[in-house]
Amino acid sequence: MEIKIDIDEAVRYMGYRGVPDEEQLQKIKKQAELLEKSLKPAVIYRIFDLDESFYGVKLKLTNITFEGEDIKRHLAGCDKCVLLCATAGLKADELIRRAQTEDISLGFITDCLASAAVEAVCNELERELKDKLPDRHMTWRFSPGYGDLPLSVQPQILDVLNAQKRAGVSCLESLLMVPSKSVTAIIGLSREPVENKRRGCSICNMAGRCDFRKRGIHC
Amino acid sequence: MDFKKLLNEKEFVFLDGAMGTMLQAAGLDAGENSEMLNLTRPELIESINRGYIEAGSDIFYCNTFGANRYKLKAVGKTPAEIIPVAIEIANRAKASASRKAYCALDIGSIGQLLEPNGTLSFDEAYDIFKEMIIAGKGADCIVIETMTDLLEAKAALLAAKENSGLPVLVTMTFEENMRTFTGCCIESMAMTLGGLGADAIGINCSLGPRELYPAVEKLCSLTNLPVIIKPNAGLPDPVTNKYNVLPDEFSQLLKAMIPLGIKIVGGCCGTSPDYIKATVKAFEGEKNQAKEKELPPAVCSASSAVIIDCPRIIGERINPTGKKRFKQALQEHDLDYICNQAIEQIDAGAEILDVNVGLPGIDEKEMMISAIKAVQGICDTPLQIDSSIPEVLDAALRVYNGKPIVNSVNGEEKSLNSVLPLVAKYGTAVVGLCLDENGIPKTVEGRVAIAEKICKRADEYGIPRRDICIDCLTLTCSAEQEAAMQTIEALRICKEKLGVRTVLGVSNISFGLPQREIVNRTFLTMALTKGLDLPIMNPNIASMTSAVRAYRLLANIDKNAQEFVANYGGETPAAAAPAVKQEDMTLGYAMSKGLKNDAAAITAKLLETNDAMEIVNGILIPELDKTGADFEKGKIFLPQLILTAGVAQSCFEVIKDYLSQHGAGGVSKGKIVICTVKGDVHDIGKNIVKVLLENYGYTVIDLGKDVDPMLVVKTAIEHDVKLVGLSALMTTTLKGMEETIKLLRENHPCKIMVGGAVLTPDYARQIGADYYAKDAKQSCDIAKEVFGQ
Repeated sequence: MEIKIDIDEAVRYMGYRGVPDEEQLQKIKKQAELLEKSLKPAVIYRIFDLDESFYGVKLKLTNITFEGEDIKRHLAGCDKCVLLCATAGLKADELIRRAQTEDISLGFITDCLASAAVEAVCNELERELKDKLPDRHMTWRFSPGYGDLPLSVQPQILDVLNAQKRAGVSCLESLLMVPSKSVTAIIGLSREPVENKRRGCSICNMAGRCDFRKRGIHC
Repeated sequence: MDFKKLLNEKEFVFLDGAMGTMLQAAGLDAGENSEMLNLTRPELIESINRGYIEAGSDIFYCNTFGANRYKLKAVGKTPAEIIPVAIEIANRAKASASRKAYCALDIGSIGQLLEPNGTLSFDEAYDIFKEMIIAGKGADCIVIETMTDLLEAKAALLAAKENSGLPVLVTMTFEENMRTFTGCCIESMAMTLGGLGADAIGINCSLGPRELYPAVEKLCSLTNLPVIIKPNAGLPDPVTNKYNVLPDEFSQLLKAMIPLGIKIVGGCCGTSPDYIKATVKAFEGEKNQAKEKELPPAVCSASSAVIIDCPRIIGERINPTGKKRFKQALQEHDLDYICNQAIEQIDAGAEILDVNVGLPGIDEKEMMISAIKAVQGICDTPLQIDSSIPEVLDAALRVYNGKPIVNSVNGEEKSLNSVLPLVAKYGTAVVGLCLDENGIPKTVEGRVAIAEKICKRADEYGIPRRDICIDCLTLTCSAEQEAAMQTIEALRICKEKLGVRTVLGVSNISFGLPQREIVNRTFLTMALTKGLDLPIMNPNIASMTSAVRAYRLLANIDKNAQEFVANYGGETPAAAAPAVKQEDMTLGYAMSKGLKNDAAAITAKLLETNDAMEIVNGILIPELDKTGADFEKGKIFLPQLILTAGVAQSCFEVIKDYLSQHGAGGVSKGKIVICTVKGDVHDIGKNIVKVLLENYGYTVIDLGKDVDPMLVVKTAIEHDVKLVGLSALMTTTLKGMEETIKLLRENHPCKIMVGGAVLTPDYARQIGADYYAKDAKQSCDIAKEVFGQ
């Protein structure tokens, strides 16, 4: 699949307020082109029926129950969900390693661009899903670690999606995903309109210590 | 089991279909551990095994795919508790079936990636597989399947070969772009696994038979081993999880691969006994069409193969001989320096890199392993492993991902007896030096005779001639003028007579002469015309690399001059006219603008007239201070801070180089150990901190990522370090940070600073750190406080 990295988004990840100077911007754009050319991103998903219980939300035909109040709220009114895993691929990690060996600032830029790349993969999938499921309303992407949904569900999600075989994504015992620029997420599907705003700060695990909020802006 | 006999008796060997799909059809939930069913529902597994035997499988897989130590931990079992049971079940299925079949110990991927992508070391991976293989000794053969990482497949294959006498079949999983998810290409898979002694190799999973056709076609053209194909039943539907290719279509698509030369067939995800039955039927009366092929001489990394069908440049710069700065890097275990040497040579045109890290006083084996891992982590250029110590070669050949060249063996008995077995075992290429106990023969005939001896001995080990690269040895022309032509003549004869590749280090020729570059380039060109395949040279010297490229053009190898024009045809890129010319530029200006090359050049110029420490303390540090202050005030942002730090780093590299040339050591303001803690692999933040600290004159001992707490403590004690910096990105890895702090407190008095995205000052205090560094700049302030400067 082809990806187009959103440079503005990557620049925000880098911590710029406003636009970088022309020389920097050129350097960023050139590296973005290299990533777009070299990366082999992958995305997989499955759609499951949901079963709400006292503890949380169960995905039918799997051994997964998402625990916590926030995921319940996220999936309220939804009878199905999309479980997805997207990755910028291992080449992203290699390019980040290589860039920071050569030049630490290029390494930093590459890291942020690769984050934006996996975001682009997810956005592309969402667009596709909207076409495929025209009669469905979709929530935003909720990931393990948001709010009170524990990160410990990560390996189960990867297992159920068969992510290692199908997308080359696995996770360490510390629950970090490999390739490092990978995400898993849950999108609720409903027949009725659902609130689909970006995730708010209340469930963010960076709440209270995030640089964006200190500067009075949002991520 | 007599695998060869089976292959000889049958036109085609049939494998089984999916296990997981059958289990889910029987009610297993997605995500549940399927190996536990060997204990809880043995009759179900037995019936699936038997179903495949009856459908026509000659070899079926025991239910052991994920029965490794790591995956079984979740269910509290060990391989020794599961695998023998699975084999017993398989034997029961065999005994009760109406036709003969063999059972394979099925070994899937561990579920953790190896370094550098993950945290699993090669030795750990090997050990995990070894445990499975020992537990599975009752099987008829071993299948290693669904591998995406060539190095993991290698660990499994080595474990199988070293701990069992059973036949080993290896299949990997390729995507439509003909690469695995880790980037492994089919060429690399074929030559690496073939070289390591797999009995059959092939492709399984990921896609259906239609999509895999090109990959199978390619693999069949690259190996003389029996080729296995075990595709999915097409692609799964995201809602129903059903696959879209039905048994008849599946079998016809497989049948269409017979002309490619496939020998062993089966099905993966989504297939069932019906698929096998249909395939067996479709193959009835068909003849095997595999042909013996001449394989090309080649070496590879996991993701890039270099075919030696024309002169290829071996970069010689990763070698400490005569290089003070390189020696210093080895003593300081500075892997970044080595990686930069690699990148520089690759950018200049090197196609293979020689790696030599031998230096008295360092642990060459450990250094070689570290260097190979580091270089393979940042590039895909194949390597030539250069050491005179067999133990170093052995250790390096284990961890190398791909098929390298061993540098070198020679005509001495001791060398032949110790190096050639390694070359044969790991299936590598090898440099054979034309010298022996009596030194380098003076005559052409003498050298050819040694080359012949090396070839004969290699034949005995089954090492193919295409993997032997004879080095007729370059002697210094100023000492022995007649020797140059003798070398070239010997090279010509070896190539023509012995069917080997030739290799030559060319730079020695001009030692002691003026205008060495002219002599080197001319000698190189002379040798190329007589059949030199692998010049070992400095690719950073433009005229040397261009001589090889020009040769490839003139010898009609570089068709349509594509490569030549690509490298030399473009107009010199009009560098965006700098606002200030370099000669008018101050170092401060270059730093603030991120002009790395200019800054390095200015530094070099300043060193002609200024004391090194004056430049550091008078210009570099004040400029960094100013940038740091602007950053704190919010005038500039992180990228600019890092940019300036990166430029300063290139200035310091120039100064370091200068100091080591002039025999003066740098002045260190103090030693700091830093690392990303156990369990965490995100290291960009830590690396930024490292660059900044180094800029300020501290010696940073960087232990890397996923670092064991004990190693931090040991290093801190060994170097009597006053300050330790720890980084962690995630809440789940803060545990590792806490453990490290605790262990440090128990063993070594020092200050500890911590940083990372999810840390807070409160939490830092809570886990016992002395300082919380909110960013790289602050870590420098902390260092100043701790060291009092």
